[in-house]
Amino acid sequence: MATPTIPGGGMLTGLKVTFTTMVKTLFLPKKHLKTVNYPVVKEEPHARARGVIALDQEACTVCMLCARQCPDWCIYIEGHKEEKQPDKPGGRVKVRAELDRFDIDYALCMYCGICVEVCPFDALFWSPDYEYSELAMGDMLHDKDRLQDWLTTVPDAPALET
Amino acid sequence: MTITTDPDVIRHLSEVSVSVQIETADMTLNIGPQHPSTHGVLRLVAKVDGERAYDVQPVIGYMHRGYEKLAEVRTYPQVTALVNRIDWVSGFANEVPFMVAAERLMEIEVPERAQYIRLILSEMARISSHFVFMASYPLELGAATPLFFALRERERVLDLMESVTGGRFHPNFNRIGGVKPAAGSGSTQRKVVQDLPKGFLAETRVAMDEVLGAADQLEDLVAGNEIILARTKDIGVLPPEVAAAYGVSGPNLRASGVRYDIRKTDDYLPYDEFDFTVPVGENGDCWDRWYVRLAEIRESAKIIQQAIDGIPSGPLQAKVPKVIKVPSGEAYVAAENPKGEMGYYLVSDGGQGPYRLKIRSASFSNISFLPWILEGALVPDIIAIMGSLDFVLGDVDR
Repeated sequence: MATPTIPGGGMLTGLKVTFTTMVKTLFLPKKHLKTVNYPVVKEEPHARARGVIALDQEACTVCMLCARQCPDWCIYIEGHKEEKQPDKPGGRVKVRAELDRFDIDYALCMYCGICVEVCPFDALFWSPDYEYSELAMGDMLHDKDRLQDWLTTVPDAPALET
Repeated sequence: MTITTDPDVIRHLSEVSVSVQIETADMTLNIGPQHPSTHGVLRLVAKVDGERAYDVQPVIGYMHRGYEKLAEVRTYPQVTALVNRIDWVSGFANEVPFMVAAERLMEIEVPERAQYIRLILSEMARISSHFVFMASYPLELGAATPLFFALRERERVLDLMESVTGGRFHPNFNRIGGVKPAAGSGSTQRKVVQDLPKGFLAETRVAMDEVLGAADQLEDLVAGNEIILARTKDIGVLPPEVAAAYGVSGPNLRASGVRYDIRKTDDYLPYDEFDFTVPVGENGDCWDRWYVRLAEIRESAKIIQQAIDGIPSGPLQAKVPKVIKVPSGEAYVAAENPKGEMGYYLVSDGGQGPYRLKIRSASFSNISFLPWILEGALVPDIIAIMGSLDFVLGDVDR
């Protein structure tokens, strides 16, 4: 610890730090400036960042696992069974679950990622996109088409250490 | 009523001296619930006699979210998402003792690599938590500059944590049996392993050098400053026996000169493989509490650099059943969190969630001696003492 010998010496040491940082930031902003001018310049979020959940409607089988495991019940799913007639006579009638409604209320969501983890059919993905703020709370409810749109923003998994 | 204008009478009146004992009532001063120095919502009701405060009573409960009760109706993976919200400044460090408690009941051996990842991220949580203190404490005393230096480095550390866990504040990265092994349970996502991303270790080493540099900068900024020294030296002295009687833990206890660190006494993470010292203070005043935390930032950075050197390869997750059921029994695991001793007393009846989860949070004990230490303190010193304890109200009220 620097023990000040002259009165105000400690403050001068502190001012030295402030001054050198100011000079560095002014003259070498590329190296020393740590902030970005947000709406103009955008930081690239990490590939793993939990920004928004994307839905692949084709993969979803309306199994409700995500809605049941969600800690704050912010996923609303409705579906119905649809019978598919056999292609050739004598075949079996196939029953397929059709997704009617898949809403995630991002006003409630706590971004834990349990739904993505429990999904057994790869229908839910994390996307690092974060720019979906709304003026009204009710607009934070994303329906299945909006969730489907997020699928284009899902990045590849990052390369691993070792 | 007539107003006298006789100069003799006026001269006579001006020589009359009053010798009456004025009865003054004690003023009751409410500090909070919303006050910049409380890191949340804490209310202090103080009786103020002149400039001194007596009979200060903290009123807590404004941040009560009922986590102990909530955990009883949640499954173990869901509790993981809850526990990192207790002390939101160091989310990752809160998860570890809960996981270790469940693993001890299930008798799971966690792979070495997962333990190292837990250790690295816990120490990063400690650094980021202490940087918040380094930022906010001088600010509460009126110095705004250290805030920018400390938060700059903290953002660097949080950014590295986000690259691994996906969350800056709420990592939710621990799983029973290790750390999060994959992004999902489907056939393709199961292969997306959540090991450390490429370049993380090299980047962390550089960041830790920067953290050590920032610690030096902060020391230059604050440690010699005569105003800060005058505000903190010999203010709020906490003797070791009082600290022990109130169950104070963490840097607040060590600042009083007690060399007690759960990292050295327990084996919840492999800390015994690393060479680090436990910094202690001498007087137990506000200044020592600041200085101990600065020294801990340096020690944590050194631990992380050692762990990067020695991190083994291997699996991230032990073999656990898909539906986690913890056998009936009880376990108490305490960890050395940035704020102090964070313990989980887990009682299981063999179900998918805890039967009872008692959370021993550090900040609750760390503010329980506020009435003792604030007795007779000057009103401006209340802020200096409260700020130096570094509590988080989410950790107090759970």
